[in-house]
Amino acid sequence: MAAVSQSFKTELLGAIPSLRAFAVSLTQNADRADDLVQETLVKAWDKHESFQPGTNLKAWLFTILRNEFYSQMRKRGREVQDSDGIMTARLAVHPAQHGQLDLKDFRGALEQLPEDQREAIILIGASGFSYEEAAEICGCAVGTIKSRVSRARARLQEILKISGEDEFGPDAISAQVTGSNAA
Amino acid sequence: MKEMSKKQMADAVSRHRNGDGNPLGANSEIARKLKQYYDELVSDRVPDRFAQLLSQLEQAEPAQKKD
Repeated sequence: MAAVSQSFKTELLGAIPSLRAFAVSLTQNADRADDLVQETLVKAWDKHESFQPGTNLKAWLFTILRNEFYSQMRKRGREVQDSDGIMTARLAVHPAQHGQLDLKDFRGALEQLPEDQREAIILIGASGFSYEEAAEICGCAVGTIKSRVSRARARLQEILKISGEDEFGPDAISAQVTGSNAA
Repeated sequence: MKEMSKKQMADAVSRHRNGDGNPLGANSEIARKLKQYYDELVSDRVPDRFAQLLSQLEQAEPAQKKD
């Protein structure tokens, strides 16, 4: 077994904040998230030889973390939430005014999404992965990721009572003015 | 997974970079909140246990040499 290179170790260290963020997004629980990250690091270390240098280490690590998450869920005998089986409107969220949406409300809404939709919207909308990378991480087709993201978005809009914001949002206009896309 | 052609790949990358075809809408309230939510998590201070874990793994390394 070849020794783990220093650069691999450095990159692992550097990936920890992202891994923790993804883990919290999946588990919705800080302690479980850190256990998941720890498990991911150990696994990544053990199988570092299967990582191909030059490919996306972050995507590789996210894949390990995600697999670990679902395998833990199975071990716990918990069914993966399906899209229809979640409690609807558990939170009473007030209609959001533009730009006034509270982060706490948003977190609550995110929590209500089924896991598959939540991970898709996080990977695409927050972690900065392409659809192709997200599909690779989740082991599914690109089209599946796209539809999960769409459903997640529609669901969040529904829970948070936002609608048609793209056409009318103030930032759509400022983006046109500056001609750039800050994301 | 099906292999993408170079052209398809390049198109996908450019669509992604431009934020086109992104059902999130790069400037939507949800996209911004999502970023805010996630960035807050990413900027959370990393507990020492992780650096310690990597050091332990590193120290255990030579002993692990098999085959």
